[in-house]
Amino acid sequence: MGPRERPQFTTMASYILRRVLQGLLVLLAVSFVCFCLFRYTGDPVLMLAGKYATQEEREMVRHAYGLDQPTHIQYIKFLGGALKGEFGKSYVSQVDALDTILERFPATFELALVAILISFAVGVGMGIVVSIWPKGCVSRILMSGSLLGISIPTFLTGILLVMLCSVYLEILPAFGRGDTVQLGPWRTGLLTLDGLKHIILPALTLSSYQLAVMMRLTRAGMREVMGEEYIKTAWAKGLSPAKVILKHALRNVLIPVVTIAGLSFGELIAFSIVTETIFQWPGMGNLLLTSIFETDQPIIVTYIMLTSCIILFINILVDLLYAVLNPKIRYN
Amino acid sequence: MKRFAVVALLLGLLALPSMAMAKADLVIATDAPPKSMNPQAYSSDANYSYMSNFFDGLLQRKSPDGKLTPALATEWKRLDPLTWEFKLRKGVKFHNGNDFNAEDVKFTFERMKDPKYSRFLNFGNSIAGIETPDPYTVIFKTVKPVPWFAETMHQNFIVDKESSLKRDDGDYNTRPIGTGAYVFDEWVKGSYVKMHANPDYWEGAPKYKTVEIRPITEDATRFAALAGRQADIVNGVPLTLADRIAKMPNVDVIARPARRCIYLTVSNKPGTPFADKRVRQALAYAINEDEIIDKVMHGMATKAAQIPDVATKGYDAGIKRLEYNPEKAKQLLAEAGYADGFEISVVGPNDRYINDEKICEAVAKYFAKVGLKVSLDVKPKSIFFDETAEFKHPFYLVGWFDGSFDFGRSAEKLLHTWNKEKGMGAYNGAVYSNPAIDDLIIKSSSIIDPAERNKALQQINRMAMEDVAWIPLHYQQDLYAVVKGKNIKFSPRSDRWIVVKEIQ
Repeated sequence: MGPRERPQFTTMASYILRRVLQGLLVLLAVSFVCFCLFRYTGDPVLMLAGKYATQEEREMVRHAYGLDQPTHIQYIKFLGGALKGEFGKSYVSQVDALDTILERFPATFELALVAILISFAVGVGMGIVVSIWPKGCVSRILMSGSLLGISIPTFLTGILLVMLCSVYLEILPAFGRGDTVQLGPWRTGLLTLDGLKHIILPALTLSSYQLAVMMRLTRAGMREVMGEEYIKTAWAKGLSPAKVILKHALRNVLIPVVTIAGLSFGELIAFSIVTETIFQWPGMGNLLLTSIFETDQPIIVTYIMLTSCIILFINILVDLLYAVLNPKIRYN
Repeated sequence: MKRFAVVALLLGLLALPSMAMAKADLVIATDAPPKSMNPQAYSSDANYSYMSNFFDGLLQRKSPDGKLTPALATEWKRLDPLTWEFKLRKGVKFHNGNDFNAEDVKFTFERMKDPKYSRFLNFGNSIAGIETPDPYTVIFKTVKPVPWFAETMHQNFIVDKESSLKRDDGDYNTRPIGTGAYVFDEWVKGSYVKMHANPDYWEGAPKYKTVEIRPITEDATRFAALAGRQADIVNGVPLTLADRIAKMPNVDVIARPARRCIYLTVSNKPGTPFADKRVRQALAYAINEDEIIDKVMHGMATKAAQIPDVATKGYDAGIKRLEYNPEKAKQLLAEAGYADGFEISVVGPNDRYINDEKICEAVAKYFAKVGLKVSLDVKPKSIFFDETAEFKHPFYLVGWFDGSFDFGRSAEKLLHTWNKEKGMGAYNGAVYSNPAIDDLIIKSSSIIDPAERNKALQQINRMAMEDVAWIPLHYQQDLYAVVKGKNIKFSPRSDRWIVVKEIQ
């Protein structure tokens, strides 16, 4: 590393530091909002003490869980715990909240990963097809199909896929993760045939929106780039169409597509709730929904904090990747 | 060559686990997941259902009639109003090999007083002391007379004292160790619970060797699991899909009259229109229950004239419904001085009972027809039950069945005037109060002779219905679907538990 690059490195480091600090502030704000909201979502003591508890027994429980203390004390205690990585125990199962959520993380992560891979590969592929033969019959079908992908809500896509593939054709299973393999702390469904079969429908459902977006993004980029001088030069040089399109044109188109893919990956992890519910996918979204119905506050708060962390992390990462992909971008 | 090796390795990885895992002998898809594997952590029929396979109570109830029969205790007696004696079964072992004896029973019930482990504080605290004169006798002393003490012993599951003390909470709450017909294998949360038959079970090993219970909360997905032959037994079949499922060639649909009664609870608080008995009668006359059963419940419900079901002590076949009569309703309202109606809010949950929201809508329409100014207020159960526990609503829809099969217990919770000190009327959310009934409830709890007590309970029941403390609507029906061709003999229980050892 030459002496000239030094300043660039330090601005980068200070940029990262600033972003991390901003992130921490956001997390603090998120935790505060969560905490305030839960003042109004029902009293967990009613559930904790059991159906037939007397008022006295409820007070006893309230005290045992520290719920009789003023809100600000509870909040400070919560922050103190969070700094140590302790988010409390689930009111329902009495098991550590963070462990409960992390146990579900691999399922959601794998679902989001497969979904983003499908939407990226298929979306970009279809985008190329559509941009090369814009007037073709296939392109017209794909373009109007992408509108459906954007406008049909996930739960409908999911149910339609289940009706078609599981109920009528009986080729794919309708729910669950299938057989899984435990690799250390990670339980994966991607290494078994059964697991792969199970992931197809939910991943397709989850990817439908992003797929359409990526296809349209690729198409727009391709149409712009294909008119550029250097593409014309490439054609003139007599390069094969595959080389011109894939090597010269697509490369430049991919930068915004990758950004979108990265950003939506975080979203897919955080908001796969609907898909997970339809397919009974044992992920975090499913857990969140159940916990909301049960006013299991420690789980809900931990979930929100965790997904905020993931989204912040991915945002920072995408920003940094941008700098790597496009050296013209500077951080000041 | 290298590429070939990678492909071969991947194929190998794919093949290994699928060969290792065989499908369970019996797969059951249920509508509710387990909350915890600590048998005292959650009092819902869904959680009891899971627990009943891993654990035994001192007594048990068998399908189809739900009669109380011996389990871990072989005989039981009420010695005096406050004292109960249980003789325990000898030679029973927990799944970890420990012997079962009176110490385990004592430990289990004492732990029910600890808010850290128990959602049965109320029951735990009703026990004043437990004596174990010998390793196979347990004597309970209760704080006040609890006539239905033994009636709840099918749902108080016994845990192993030694291992429970040693294990940490996370383990205790996720891996059950009991004496039950099935030994716990694995619980992957949100996916499945796997178990295998206990070969040394005191009642003989159950028929199905390996069993998998899959909770699928989404109705449509549970239906798809059945259609795709991924489940052998499905519970909670939605009414809207019942006709279609019944038409499937490989599936039987079983309807089981459930014990739960859906009813409207009414306040009689002075100063409100409800204080006048004629108004309460008018509300009952205004409702066309036949139409609700036909249109809202698709015929899958039975009309109710009282809260307890036939199997409950205190049920009185002589009680008659106030049948639909809108003219009489209007006339009664006019007599009570409400010829122009009054404002009434029909409150209820929208995610708790079968079609609860639609029932509320129907009730609201019937009330509007007799001239009341109705507003509809339905909400998720998590909010609704909190509000009723805070006595917010004088009139709401709710469901009830008594796990102890004893109307005396129901009456203490639902009917007795709310009294914090005595722990009475905790579920009397509409705040109904009738001192004459309160008296009878207290008196009935000290009657030891079962026949005499049954008479007293019937009297309470009759008085409550004559005074229109409640407007009963119907008993629900539970729907199950069972796959044909595997020769599964399944007779559903009235309490919705799926006790696998009973499936032949």
